[in-house]
Amino acid sequence: MLRSLLLSRFRCFDSLRLEIPQGVVLFHGSNAQGKTSLLEAACILLRLQSPRATALGECAQFSQNTFGIAGSLEGKETNSLRFHYAENGRKLSVDGESQRSATDYLRHSALVVWMSNEDLSLVRGSGEQRRRFLDFMASQLFPGYREALKSYEKALRSRNFLLKRDARPPWPQIDAYTHILDENARILTQCRRLLVESLAPLAERGQKEIASSEENLHITYESASGDNDDLFTTLNARRDEELRRRVTVSGPHRDDLLLSLNDKPAAKFASEGQQRTVALALKLGQANLFLQSRPEPPVILIDDIFGELDPDRRNALMAYWPLASQKLIATTHLDWLDDRFADAARMRVSQARVERES
Amino acid sequence: MASIDYPIPVRHLITLLKQLPGIGPKSAERIAVWLVQHGTDTGIGLSHALAAIAEDIIECRVCGFFATQAEGCAICHSSARENDVLCIVEQPTDILPLERSGAFRGHYHSLRGRISPLDNIGPDDLRIDELTLRLTKGSFQEVILALSSDVEGEATAHFLVDLLSAFPRIKVSRLAQGLPAGGGLHSADELTLLRALQGRVTAS
Repeated sequence: MLRSLLLSRFRCFDSLRLEIPQGVVLFHGSNAQGKTSLLEAACILLRLQSPRATALGECAQFSQNTFGIAGSLEGKETNSLRFHYAENGRKLSVDGESQRSATDYLRHSALVVWMSNEDLSLVRGSGEQRRRFLDFMASQLFPGYREALKSYEKALRSRNFLLKRDARPPWPQIDAYTHILDENARILTQCRRLLVESLAPLAERGQKEIASSEENLHITYESASGDNDDLFTTLNARRDEELRRRVTVSGPHRDDLLLSLNDKPAAKFASEGQQRTVALALKLGQANLFLQSRPEPPVILIDDIFGELDPDRRNALMAYWPLASQKLIATTHLDWLDDRFADAARMRVSQARVERES
Repeated sequence: MASIDYPIPVRHLITLLKQLPGIGPKSAERIAVWLVQHGTDTGIGLSHALAAIAEDIIECRVCGFFATQAEGCAICHSSARENDVLCIVEQPTDILPLERSGAFRGHYHSLRGRISPLDNIGPDDLRIDELTLRLTKGSFQEVILALSSDVEGEATAHFLVDLLSAFPRIKVSRLAQGLPAGGGLHSADELTLLRALQGRVTAS
């Protein structure tokens, strides 16, 4: 769990020092006061990526180009993590010792589950949203996934550029990149498949418990790498199509996670309420999968959804989330609070300042 | 009133120094002022050295290493080297560490870069025609690819492997990847360990 958080020039926070109690912590305040930014900072410190911004540079204050986040973790050992971002590179350190690679740094960190109102787009949105969800999970669970994903994306950009650039595509060069896509796609596909296999039963059970009726959620991973995950052969066979469309037509960047409810696609045939339940079931599945995978429970960051959930789903969420996890909850109002939150710590967030209330 | 600045020769020197890699405006100014105040001897020595480089140093037309007009390339003109192995590197500077290892006695071929479409560098910008010419004419039995292990380096390696399949009698090999010499397992990252495991060798 996260014991403390230190921010410097991060979004609206000039500088902030915050002790974080264990269990449930409620950050409440009006809109645009910095609640979500606090959770985001925790996510970046622990996982080196933001659930909101695609480029970390966006998190610096207006007209600044550097920021820093630090914090201490308490688990089987105590670690202090430090992340410093600057335009020309980032610096990572654990217990004062600087870390060369992100993988070394992340090994000392905790796992994170992020829940927000945007989770609904896991069900309704494009495959992109679901791939991001898979990537966020897989890079936390599998060493090597992150690196493979980075290499894959880099090779894909070059390959697509080559396909578009000339009237007659330079196939020998393109093939050189196809080899790299193939090598990394095997790692990505294998990890995603393994991940969905372990996630599916947890999310499917979650769906039943939250909906408190016979709703059969079914989750399947759909690989776009072709037979036997042999992307090289698949892409070679689809060369004509690539010549026409001028993009890489298959591979993990076209994978998807198929969600069906009672054998019908959830995006089209499920009601809005059911879709919200599916999104929640996926995230709770993730939390419980992380709980099984590591001795330390994951940190759960919940942005704003608490006030939006109806009482049934709120109860289900609280019944099914890992009890041992630390939960940081951002919310605009507290009128949904009941005596189950008697022990919860309350923090008031106002104009980039945080005060402990109880 | 016009603002006061350094005299024109000094300003000219600063402008030139700024173009050097790793030297910004502040450093350029500091170096120029130092040369003016204390470094007359060094400055004159420097100007001679620069003139000598411009006159005498060329890229070896065969291997791409640094050579002199007068004496040619120290590697290509050496008679003590093995003529059946060729090691391909990205930059001429990559040749020196391989040489210092003492483990390689064959010839080199520097590509002068690597394929990187997004930086607008393709095979035509590299010394690939020179390579195929050498392989056609030479008596090489083996080509060793000593390229970097990032995405561009790997892409270049794959490209060359395809290209070299036109020379079926030449064996193509790549540098092994694995544990650093003298290092313990605990200091290696997962990817290095994975590669080391995949590329393990028989011990007996």
